[in-house]
Amino acid sequence: MRLKRKGGYNVPLAGRPAGQIRAPAEADTLWLPLASRRFAFTQLAVGNGEMVKTGQVLATDPANFDVPLLAPRDGTVRLGAVKGHLVLENARRGPARIDARRAETHPAHGDGEAKRRALVRLGAWQFFEDAHTGRLPDPFTVPRAVIVSTVRLEPFLARGDAQLADRLDAFARGLECLQSLLEYQRIYLLVPDVQSELAETLHENLRGLAWLQIVTIPRRYPMDHFALVARGLGLKAGGDGPVWAVRTEGVLAVDRALSESRPVTERVISLGGPAVGEPVHLSLPVGYPLEKILLGAIVEGLPRVLTGGALTGEALDHAQKGLDAECAGLTVLAEPKRRELFGWLRPGWDRASYGRCYLSSLHRPRPEPLTTAMRGEKRACIACGQCETVCPARILPHVIHKALYADAIDDAEHLGVDLCVGCGLCSYVCPSKIELRQEFLDAQQKIREEREHAEAAKAEEVKG
Amino acid sequence: MRLLEDLFDRLRPKIEQGPLGRAVPLFDAMNNFFLGPKTATPCAPHVRDPIDLKRYMTMVILALLPTLAAGVYLFGLRVLAVVLVSYMVGGTIEVVIACIRKEEINEGFFVTGMIFPLILPPGVPLWMVALGVAAGVIIGKEIFGGTGRNPFNAALVGRCILTLAYPSRLNAFIEPASGWPGRLMTYQVDAISSATPLADAKNGTLEPITNLFWGNVSGSIGETSAALILAGGLFLVLVGVVNWRTIVSVLGSFAALGFLLGGLFPSHFGNPVGWHMLAGGLLFGTVFMATDPVTGPMTNGGKVAYGILIGAIVLLIRNLTGYVEGVTFAILLGNIVAPTIDAVAVRLRIRRLAYER
Repeated sequence: MRLKRKGGYNVPLAGRPAGQIRAPAEADTLWLPLASRRFAFTQLAVGNGEMVKTGQVLATDPANFDVPLLAPRDGTVRLGAVKGHLVLENARRGPARIDARRAETHPAHGDGEAKRRALVRLGAWQFFEDAHTGRLPDPFTVPRAVIVSTVRLEPFLARGDAQLADRLDAFARGLECLQSLLEYQRIYLLVPDVQSELAETLHENLRGLAWLQIVTIPRRYPMDHFALVARGLGLKAGGDGPVWAVRTEGVLAVDRALSESRPVTERVISLGGPAVGEPVHLSLPVGYPLEKILLGAIVEGLPRVLTGGALTGEALDHAQKGLDAECAGLTVLAEPKRRELFGWLRPGWDRASYGRCYLSSLHRPRPEPLTTAMRGEKRACIACGQCETVCPARILPHVIHKALYADAIDDAEHLGVDLCVGCGLCSYVCPSKIELRQEFLDAQQKIREEREHAEAAKAEEVKG
Repeated sequence: MRLLEDLFDRLRPKIEQGPLGRAVPLFDAMNNFFLGPKTATPCAPHVRDPIDLKRYMTMVILALLPTLAAGVYLFGLRVLAVVLVSYMVGGTIEVVIACIRKEEINEGFFVTGMIFPLILPPGVPLWMVALGVAAGVIIGKEIFGGTGRNPFNAALVGRCILTLAYPSRLNAFIEPASGWPGRLMTYQVDAISSATPLADAKNGTLEPITNLFWGNVSGSIGETSAALILAGGLFLVLVGVVNWRTIVSVLGSFAALGFLLGGLFPSHFGNPVGWHMLAGGLLFGTVFMATDPVTGPMTNGGKVAYGILIGAIVLLIRNLTGYVEGVTFAILLGNIVAPTIDAVAVRLRIRRLAYER
């Protein structure tokens, strides 16, 4: 099966991480952030000074089905030493314990529920997301379908091909474990639409399985976005039951948790971007000191470090000292240093652009050391339509922008602002340098709040 | 370069706090004209495409330059004076208003200020150029909030006001030059007035079509050479600044309706359609003004409908009314209905979104 979709664009950013995964030297002290993008590990399970073993639960997130923060190493817990962090001192690699509760099954719910509990307990469940909302799905519901992606297109996040290279067996086992949680629902496996050894091996090994549908997607950002894929597969938002989505690392985590009953304490992240000397993939324990990752890797002074990719990532919080539980990549960009004399008049042979206003459109796109420069001044929208052609969600960003500019949020909703997946390409291509992505995300937030407010009011009324 | 950068950096606070505080937008415009801004992205996406409005408008200017050169060759160096007056008066108004509003100065004026003189007859008095561009910029653009928010093409508003206010004086068409170096050495030609091909056609004489194609005919400064306008149009389509749908639909509807009505009512629509297409301002208006993204519809479907409407109106005005030329009115009428076309086109587009939900 082949998915097609208009729009999208590969931003020609230099510094793509190489395919092999490196494991740097162990750190003595780990700083585990107690909050990440989706999670807040507020329920502490250990006390100050307590000795912990690898895989022990340090804290859980009560708002997210009690997903745990696991101890990535043996060590001594230090609480309150660094704000927002749990510090693990004298960290050293311990024997990866096998979970003792393996055989424990609940008589009423059977094997499935025990497996699901194991997924949560052993730290594999955090790799799942709801395809439409991106939030952590309820592990105890039955999904409509599961989307598994081996593709990662945003520059730069940990890619599936890097992790799969010598772990195909584990991946296949993980898929089977995943299937055992389902009844008859399909698993869709996303592979890139290019001829590669990996894609072929995947095809060969997994073709005959009735419960698995292999879906090829174009290698154009953001065609791997789960919401877009779900829409393309006809799994629309608000249907009956959620659509689970998980990436390569998630499937490998499922395998580790269910086949081996071992906790998942390592993360594979990418370290890329033009300001990184040697872009690589790294296998690290949660809490690994960021300073240690970045020091020596960065070739520019005082760059901008992002958790996530260059298009949707967030600038790293200076207070954060260790790798958080959800980071998939660090992208490092230089801040703009020089101003350019008559930049707008240059022929632009070396200036890759989405449009065709530069001579660079005469040759194939080459990766460029882009900085965080705006490369232009903010202006009013001139309805050039570039955002419309690049938009993968098929909405009209400039029309929605005009509605939002006029404060007509209802119009914006009608125009489909809720369909925006926040890929950021509209802001990237805008010649008027309008922050379309931010505007749309804010509008979505506002609409959500209003809806919740209205629902709460209604509930109140019913009660009264 | 470093020197210039330092100079600007050091001057800015002084300007800001000094008596010229109001002129900060002008200072910034000049600053960013020479040296690209150093601003960093405030939020995701953290990298951006090199394209900006300056580059975008530069493409349009590049496409207009050949027609300007042809104008100078055909009608003398005074054409440059006309352009200069347009830029100076219009630019001053733009800058003053931007300073009052405390907003950035928009590059859009570089295009308006160039297009406006090109659609004027070569013998136009300079004071009239000043008046027209002032009217166009203020009424056509600034009272609506400036480039990007204007419902009408500012150059056409200026031209329309002049046409209605001074019908006879705006007939100052000049016999075109021929041979080398044409009028590249002459400033002004005195009173060799000449009717435009369209006016001649109303009286029954048809200019040879090759002259219309190459441009050695009487007419507005930039509209005579079909070849150069088409080359400019092709360039704009290739660099992706202009949407080909508008151009094709204007010319297509003009041709189709022309053939149809020419067959049905040969007495009123007698002139050959191909000839009509190259004559007058149709090509110039189609390539450089109907395609203005701000004043036209925003969707592709809307652009086609808009083009069809404009082409049809030009044909009807030219053949059925007392006016010899109708491009100005047709495009302005198109500007008026563009939001309505958009309302329909956007609604149709939204219906397609249902597949996504």
